[in-house]
Amino acid sequence: MHGPIMMNPPALSVHDVTMEFEAHVRVLQHVNLDVPHGQTLVLIGESGSGKTTLLRMLNGLNHPTSGEIHLHGESIRSQDPIELRRRVGYVQQDGGLLPHWTVEENVSLVPVLLGWDLENRTSRVRELLEMVNLDPTRYRTRYPIELSGGQRQRVAFARALAADPSIVLLDEPFGALDSITRHNLQRQFLRLKRHLQKTLVIVTHDVDEAIRLGDRIAVLKEGRLLQIGSPAELLNAPAHDDVAQFLHHRSHGDHP
Amino acid sequence: MSRRGQLRPPGIAVGVVFALFILWTTPASSEEGRIVVGSKNFMENKLLAEIFAQLIEARTDVSVTRRLGLAGTQVCFEALRAGAIDLYPEYTGTGLVSILQQPPTGDSRTTLTTVRSEFLRRWDLWWLTPLGFENAYALAVPRSRLPANAPRTLSDLAEFASSLTAGFGYEFIQRPDGLPGLTTRYGLTFQRVQAMQQSLKYQAAAAGEIDVLDVYTTDGRLFVYDFVVLEDDQRFFPPYEAAGLIRGTTLKRYPEVGSALSLLGNAFDARIMRQLNYRLQEGGESVDVVARDALAALNLSAGEHAPSLPAVKDDDLVAYLWSHGSTLTEQTIEHLFLAGLALGLGILLAVPLGLLLERRQTVAEPVIRCIGLTQTIPSIALLAFMIPVFGIGVPPAVIALWMYSLFPIVRNTYSGLRDAAPDAVESARALGMTEWQILSWVRLPLAAPIIMAGIRTAGVITVGTTTLAALIGAGGLGVPIVSGLQMANTTMILSGALPAAALALVIDGTLGMVERWLRPRGVRARPDWT
Repeated sequence: MHGPIMMNPPALSVHDVTMEFEAHVRVLQHVNLDVPHGQTLVLIGESGSGKTTLLRMLNGLNHPTSGEIHLHGESIRSQDPIELRRRVGYVQQDGGLLPHWTVEENVSLVPVLLGWDLENRTSRVRELLEMVNLDPTRYRTRYPIELSGGQRQRVAFARALAADPSIVLLDEPFGALDSITRHNLQRQFLRLKRHLQKTLVIVTHDVDEAIRLGDRIAVLKEGRLLQIGSPAELLNAPAHDDVAQFLHHRSHGDHP
Repeated sequence: MSRRGQLRPPGIAVGVVFALFILWTTPASSEEGRIVVGSKNFMENKLLAEIFAQLIEARTDVSVTRRLGLAGTQVCFEALRAGAIDLYPEYTGTGLVSILQQPPTGDSRTTLTTVRSEFLRRWDLWWLTPLGFENAYALAVPRSRLPANAPRTLSDLAEFASSLTAGFGYEFIQRPDGLPGLTTRYGLTFQRVQAMQQSLKYQAAAAGEIDVLDVYTTDGRLFVYDFVVLEDDQRFFPPYEAAGLIRGTTLKRYPEVGSALSLLGNAFDARIMRQLNYRLQEGGESVDVVARDALAALNLSAGEHAPSLPAVKDDDLVAYLWSHGSTLTEQTIEHLFLAGLALGLGILLAVPLGLLLERRQTVAEPVIRCIGLTQTIPSIALLAFMIPVFGIGVPPAVIALWMYSLFPIVRNTYSGLRDAAPDAVESARALGMTEWQILSWVRLPLAAPIIMAGIRTAGVITVGTTTLAALIGAGGLGVPIVSGLQMANTTMILSGALPAAALALVIDGTLGMVERWLRPRGVRARPDWT
């Protein structure tokens, strides 16, 4: 309905996905959504809403009890999960860098798994570190513990982008940062996003962040998808009292 | 960025360790033309065993392996029954009461007849002709503690025992022919019973710390201390005639051993034994030398004196260490070998087990708790359980030490892997590492220092516990410690204890260095730069 691409299948499609734990504890219930190429979808909701569970399904870390997930029109059930994950970028809240590896080693993780040669890896690391505004000569050989929180998160972005995946999943990517660093990094992230044209799925519980970063926002509550739409649609025409309340409350809560 | 080298199995090391182990588990007694003589861990028994050994060497072509100083009756007897030793000196009363579990009788002839027929029938073990003396239990009182109209018998003692403090050996307190039976027979109840090491009792009695002690009637120290040995007027203590106890199969295979040993029948009496014991206990002479002299006096000479150690004043530790340097070096090497082998085998089982448990979290805690239980088994008890299965010497010692080494390594491997940087593990998985890559590139390197800390703890425990290996004839630095304890010789105790402690410190320091070296660079504690 929004995407300009009608001929090709969407980059990502979630069809009637339900996930239960034993004894009928439903984490997700009949969730449907599509993400067109190059768009950014933000999953938002309170803790326990199922947003992280849904994100982790997209690269096979969690498995739906029923329903289908397609990447570029191909069901992920039919794919080797290891191969799949190497083709999908991933950034988590605190970066999740390997503490015993240098910045360079961390960034070249996926290229190593994919068997790139040293020369390609080295030049790719240089390129990526420059892209996330880290001086390669200065930071290449540092260990994560020798970086600030913001720098670590930039390295995590670089690592997620290393093998040039078309889809990148981000789980609360700015959640662990102080507010100045967060805003700073979000600005750079937006610039990068326009430049790279990747399909992104971001999990957050921060309404401002969702509005700033998302082309579309999906609001989840207790495993159900309440509404999906552009920030303007959600703010102007909430389909559900809970959505209105959530957006209003959160939005004002963060900016008194 | 090749990190695959980190998981290469140490194939050669495994092979070497197992080869050594198999070599050592082969029982010595199966060797052609060689028999194993054992003894308990007190001086007289060691001396008798050494006399047996020297006589066999002098009079037959059979060569002898000595396993002297095994921890008590139980260990010696089980070792004999299992074939780990062929022969050791035993006492008829001990055979009757401790081994056959029969009530003590008063007559030496019936005692000998009973043990002879029962041992033969049940186990094909033979009591040789007794050596001619008894080493019975008796109670003694320092003369200075006695009132004017002094008691001379145990019946007299019973009347005022309730005001006395007794110092008794651990075995005496337990044995039915010791304190329990004595209490029943004479109605003896002491004000306090203090369990003490055999040799320390004499000093404690002389210092007035205790009023009554159990003694052996052939104890050489009865020459030195002014004690009154009380008469057993109701003939409670069974006769303890000393005699060789030998396996029937050994006698049949080497009849010449039997005839050689028969030369010792009734060759001694209590007074001679007391003198020989005195030379060992108070003179500090070696068992080897005293045994040679005893055989010479019987015209059964074993030949030349072995070069005896220069006389060294007992209280000069430095001189003692200097003069016993080569023996101590040998014992240190034995000690390191035992501890190293046990620790090596411990690592080989515990690290893979820890890895496995990390994959099976539901069973992990129960399994680790069960392994933890082995730590609570007293080491002496564990060693005693080993004897019927593994005999004596190196194999049971290594197996017991190995069991003690497991817990710290398994626990640290498991928790180190489980708790290794969960965020990093999560992101590694999300970016497409296989479980094997996560284990070898992320979890193991991050857990390595913690696993190493477990190995370090196990190493220090093992080096310490290895001192007990001497009790089942496995050698090591426990030998001078145990002997020194029996002789109340502090210098001798220290000559084993100090190297053992130094060894523990060196092991701790070395493994600590390995631990630091294994710590990945980025994990080293370091101030945040920005």
